Amino acid sequence: MQTSTRQGGVTAPTARGGRIRGHRVLFHITAVLVTLIFLAPIFWVVMASFRPAAVSLQPPLPPWPSDGVGVTFDNYSRLGDYGASVLHYTANSAFVAVGTALLTIVVSLLAGYGFSRYRFPFRSVVFVLILATIMIPFQSILTPLFLLLAKMGLQNTLTGLVFIYATLQLPFSVFMMKNAFDSVPKEIEEAARIDGMKGVRMLARVMMPLVTPGIVTVGLFAFLNAWNEFLAALVLLTDQSKFTLPVLMTAVRYGRYGSVDWGAVQAGVTIMMIPCLILFLILQRSYIRGLTAGAVK
Amino acid sequence: MSHAEAIQSTHHTAGLRLNRLHKSFKGDEVLHDINLDVEAGEFVVFVGPSGCGKSTLLRLIAGLEETTAGDIFIGDDDVTERDPSDRGIAMVFQTYALYPHMSVADNMGFGLRAARHPKQEIADKVNEAAQILHLTDLLQRRPSQLSGGQRQRVAIGRAIVRDPDVFLFDEPLSNLDAELRVEMRLEIARLHRQLGNTMIYVTHDQTEAMTLASRIVVLRAGCIEQVGTPADLYSDPDNVFVAGFIGSPAMNFFDAELVENGRLRLGEHTIAGPRLDNPPSAGTGVTLGIRPVHLQPVQGDVAGLQFRVEFIEYLGDNSCLHGALDNGARCRIEAPRGIAIRLGETLLVSAEVADMRLFDQQEQRLR
Repeated sequence: MQTSTRQGGVTAPTARGGRIRGHRVLFHITAVLVTLIFLAPIFWVVMASFRPAAVSLQPPLPPWPSDGVGVTFDNYSRLGDYGASVLHYTANSAFVAVGTALLTIVVSLLAGYGFSRYRFPFRSVVFVLILATIMIPFQSILTPLFLLLAKMGLQNTLTGLVFIYATLQLPFSVFMMKNAFDSVPKEIEEAARIDGMKGVRMLARVMMPLVTPGIVTVGLFAFLNAWNEFLAALVLLTDQSKFTLPVLMTAVRYGRYGSVDWGAVQAGVTIMMIPCLILFLILQRSYIRGLTAGAVK
Repeated sequence: MSHAEAIQSTHHTAGLRLNRLHKSFKGDEVLHDINLDVEAGEFVVFVGPSGCGKSTLLRLIAGLEETTAGDIFIGDDDVTERDPSDRGIAMVFQTYALYPHMSVADNMGFGLRAARHPKQEIADKVNEAAQILHLTDLLQRRPSQLSGGQRQRVAIGRAIVRDPDVFLFDEPLSNLDAELRVEMRLEIARLHRQLGNTMIYVTHDQTEAMTLASRIVVLRAGCIEQVGTPADLYSDPDNVFVAGFIGSPAMNFFDAELVENGRLRLGEHTIAGPRLDNPPSAGTGVTLGIRPVHLQPVQGDVAGLQFRVEFIEYLGDNSCLHGALDNGARCRIEAPRGIAIRLGETLLVSAEVADMRLFDQQEQRLR
């Protein structure tokens, strides 16, 4: 018999897969270049924050401390001495960002569950209306928002800022959470109904663990946006002790005699980045799952 | 076996009664006046083509859909308005519907935990069910770490732990591959024997229905066409639909005309027909049904039909021959091994009178 099913034959099979392919090399080079372009500004800021005040006005090349002055933490200490210490402002920012994230998560979780699983009149119209508000630039409604807060006695308070941020964050978040709930198979919910789950218990014990990536995404977005937001905080906060970090940055910029203290700004920006980076690195796995949830069945 | 006995001793099984059940979706009636009595301990299979309403009927029994009109009784209780969890049912879904964030043990015990049963009792019941289904080694795994067959066993285990009066299965084997399906079919049959609960099982696969059921309910377009044991439905179908749906390959149907003495005319041939208690008058048009396995090639000078072979499906022990009669009617026959048959050949085929079924113009059986 010529056909053998067990042995390939006497000669060795042709070796495959050892070659370095041109397009793979090109791919990696491109990826490294793009990464460098993205990382460069961050690297620049961090390096510049360690430059002494004397050289901070010189051309920013090279970005790291040079001229034999060495590394200095002056910028950080100047930042720390501003107003009520940088820790105080970080706490302000943290309160606003965490508050916004929590409020956004709670409201969008309930709203997303409702839009995904309950039938009520004008459901799709209301949903489209909520989405449509994304198209309104919030700067244009800053004045009415300010008046509204003033009427509620919440002007110049961090709580008021939390409400504003959460409101701005909600259309996107509700949309995200609705998608997350939509991607949970109906049968799981039905199995839970047979097991005796209803209403809030159903949400807490069965549905919530299944939409965790959505919750993480919504929370992370809310946190980052609230942490970095500048304009609303600048307009709504007048009391210096209430400033959040972005507002603090503009405040510390004005050095003595009208000079601009770039060093302190760089130091502030560096400090501001740290919590965002840590959060993002911890949560990135769930975050990516959340963004693509429901995209592919 | 001792585990099964342990469970059996604690549970009471109950029958099921559907009384004039209707279901409409937005004014579209999908179930029309369903009446059905299921005795305690019976294994009843709902079978029918897709869209016939069999799954909807099961979901009505489960309480996952609201009943438009009619009553559902489980045991002696009217459960029509009750929540799914208070009906004494447990359901196994086609997609398993396990809770992905819980271990196998937690999945199985979830219903009891929700009802706040004591921890020890839950653990005991989960262990018993796991032993019945050979899941003991998998109790700490997550559903994502299990194969399809194992997942379905966990889903069945979750149902067993609830200790229901009635088990509901919604096409539980459709997501499994062919080999596993046969294996799980046997497992479900064994489980029914062991537990003795009432089981309602929905499938579109008539083989599954035939092998599992103590009684089959054939549904079409929201109506029950016939209820009976698998043997009843196979040998004594009430109408053309049931005759064609039950049995594989499907029954052949030929247009025929009654002539005198109970004989039938098919095209140019006249053959002996089955004896009827109330025969219609001669000249009435009827439908003659003969299963492929009952139409056999015959030799010599006997009355039969001319069958031209157009396609041969070789199945091992026998072959399924596709072709047409000389009057043009499509026909299939199952020829035993050992008869040499060539494509294009014309065979003389014939069937026993006892294997012929006659139907009237309304597709109802003539007896």
